[in-house]
Amino acid sequence: MVDLFAAKHFLIVDDFADMRAALKRILNSLGAVHIDQARHGSEAIAKMQTRPYDVVLCDYNLGPGKDGQQVLEEARVRQLLKVDSIFIMITAENSREMVMGAVEYAPDSYLSKPFTKELLQTRLIKLFERKANLRKVNQALLAKDPVAAIRELDTLIAAHPPNLGELLKLKSEICIDANRLDEAQGALEQVLAMREMPWARLGLGKIQFKRKQFTQAAETFRQLIEQERNFVAAYDWLAKTQMAQRQYAEAEETLKLAARLSPRNIQRQGLLGETALANHHPETAEAAYEHAVAMAKHSVFNHPVLFAGLAKSKAAAGKPNEALKVVEQIPKAFPDHPESRLYQAAATAIIKNRLGDQTGAQAALAEAEHALANLNETAHASKHALEMARTYAELGQEDKAARLLRQAIANNHDDEEILTQIVHLCQESRLNYDAESAIREVQGDVVRTNNEGVRLIKQGEFEAAIRLLTQAAEEMPGNKTINLNAAKALLMYMEHRGVVSDLLDQVRRYIDRVQTLAPEDWRLGEVNQRLRKLTQTQTDG
Amino acid sequence: MDELDFSAILASSIHDIKNSLGLILSNLEDLLSNPANRIADPRQASLLQHEARRANANLNQLLVLYKLGQDQLCVNITDNHMEDFLDEIVAENRSVCETLGFQLDRRCDPELMGYFDPELVRGVLEGAIGNARRYARTQIQLNAEQADDFLVIRVEDDGAGFPAAMLAQTEYQPQTIAAATGTPGHTQLGLYFASRIAQLHRHGERYGHIRLANGHILSGGCFELWLP
Repeated sequence: MVDLFAAKHFLIVDDFADMRAALKRILNSLGAVHIDQARHGSEAIAKMQTRPYDVVLCDYNLGPGKDGQQVLEEARVRQLLKVDSIFIMITAENSREMVMGAVEYAPDSYLSKPFTKELLQTRLIKLFERKANLRKVNQALLAKDPVAAIRELDTLIAAHPPNLGELLKLKSEICIDANRLDEAQGALEQVLAMREMPWARLGLGKIQFKRKQFTQAAETFRQLIEQERNFVAAYDWLAKTQMAQRQYAEAEETLKLAARLSPRNIQRQGLLGETALANHHPETAEAAYEHAVAMAKHSVFNHPVLFAGLAKSKAAAGKPNEALKVVEQIPKAFPDHPESRLYQAAATAIIKNRLGDQTGAQAALAEAEHALANLNETAHASKHALEMARTYAELGQEDKAARLLRQAIANNHDDEEILTQIVHLCQESRLNYDAESAIREVQGDVVRTNNEGVRLIKQGEFEAAIRLLTQAAEEMPGNKTINLNAAKALLMYMEHRGVVSDLLDQVRRYIDRVQTLAPEDWRLGEVNQRLRKLTQTQTDG
Repeated sequence: MDELDFSAILASSIHDIKNSLGLILSNLEDLLSNPANRIADPRQASLLQHEARRANANLNQLLVLYKLGQDQLCVNITDNHMEDFLDEIVAENRSVCETLGFQLDRRCDPELMGYFDPELVRGVLEGAIGNARRYARTQIQLNAEQADDFLVIRVEDDGAGFPAAMLAQTEYQPQTIAAATGTPGHTQLGLYFASRIAQLHRHGERYGHIRLANGHILSGGCFELWLP
């Protein structure tokens, strides 16, 4: 057991020297040898960049700068932790509020202060066991191979271990992400047959949402909230569902309640600000963005869009001079951020337009167009396009707004959240563009192209299939499904007819696009696997 | 002037006090485990340890009750493997019990699962163990079993047992702080806390409760937490 601790690398993060020393003594007495220390969040991140740690023991309260949750978020977003790393959050207060609030980025475990050496030992040994147990599952997840991950989990589940609930939860999450909804439902129903659990009920609601059964999903989330008033995730999903149902005012109210329960979540405050601003409630938007900007200072989620949102809210609330001051902070706050110019210029155009300064507004608009063009191919990323379209709409340039929106719809024909934002944008900015019809039209086109491509592949008419799908991919460079299908058509062609290096490059370009747009997309696993297989046979032969 | 945010003040004070308690406890532990220690009489040091742990348990109760009063308390029910859960509580309390001369063990079916908020229930059990430490002669036992569709967690000792007046109510339910605080210096705030936490656990129409008994497995007092 001493060996277990001796082989591992530990990082202690606490702003209080005596606490670090006490923790170090405890770890030493358990047999740990490799123990590093950090005095604050930035130092912790710097240390994690130099080497991956097996165990991070991080105090939640770290004085000025990042708090423990922000350290965790940054480590996860920047992938500074291995899949089998253990992150333990040490808290002084009871951790329940944090558990409820940390919806997306949760530590492996919470420890409340003070704790004894024996408790830390018991907890760590159990966590080591758990990680070892899930090693194969985690490897499959890393390789974006949900089928293998689920297979490994099913083997573990079949043995009915003590942590059955935890395994079923993990399985349901993987299945939902990988769009295997029937399997996800099965796992959740297995849990609910044992006991009513809010997280499992929430999972069923997410499945209904993914199946576009919005009425049922909203009902599920509402009932959950009624039973568990403090279950923040249920509010987030209810808001998402209300947006999909085009109930924008209701979604704003739901987000407001969620933000009140758990005010420290920057993304939620940002979303509330965005929704409220589009709903013409500048005061709510301003308050939400103020919160977000203040809290984001040390966060990996800090982004120029929050400053731009705050500035636009202030402008809409009749404070254009304050708004300009906020906008001017963007280059100082984000000196190296590739997107800061776009957001600064777009917000400036809107504010100057409100001030009646047409020349200034047009100059800022031209600057924004320039910034958009200078962002690489991922400029087709929908959020940039939407920001620009919103700016065009405000300045009365409806044709340009419509053209951008049409492109955004084509790039995201199957992304319910973005389509909803587009419809909301058109409606609230009173833009003369029928987004709903455009969406139906584009969806029809994309589905037809896809079906035709799949039919041609099945009939062995690879050249025709490739022509059709690669042309579509050039027209819709930001569409993940089209890019993946074009890559697949090329791969299948080469699987039958042999490898062509130009075509391999083309496949890699399509994969890169999807990787940039949505690195977490499960479908990447399959095409990457096929590409690897193909290039391996090539070198073998 | 800002409205006085007592919740924030309380949270921040508790953070500081807990840091202090943490350091007191870890230094005491070092002192007690150091054979060369000639500063403190081990018995005295373990009493300090016991009292520091009790102060910590009280602080936790205070914060939870405050939040409950403010309607800010979230209850987070999870499925808990009872053996693992009790192992942690034993691990947390073993050294203080041993230095005070008690044997602390646990008894539980390795298959048993429980559905409850682990932080809150830990708080209740910490309080009960702290109380048992004052009355036990040689032994404290933690055990858990399924009974009548409830999960029963017991903290037993081999001391003199609860006084008859407290046992008179088989299902102990202090409704008010006044009823719970009783004679000064001998408060039953811990029982009030336990009872409130038990009631926060609900499954269908069944609610959690606490019960006091004498002579269950061990001969002395037996605190029971019944969770639906």
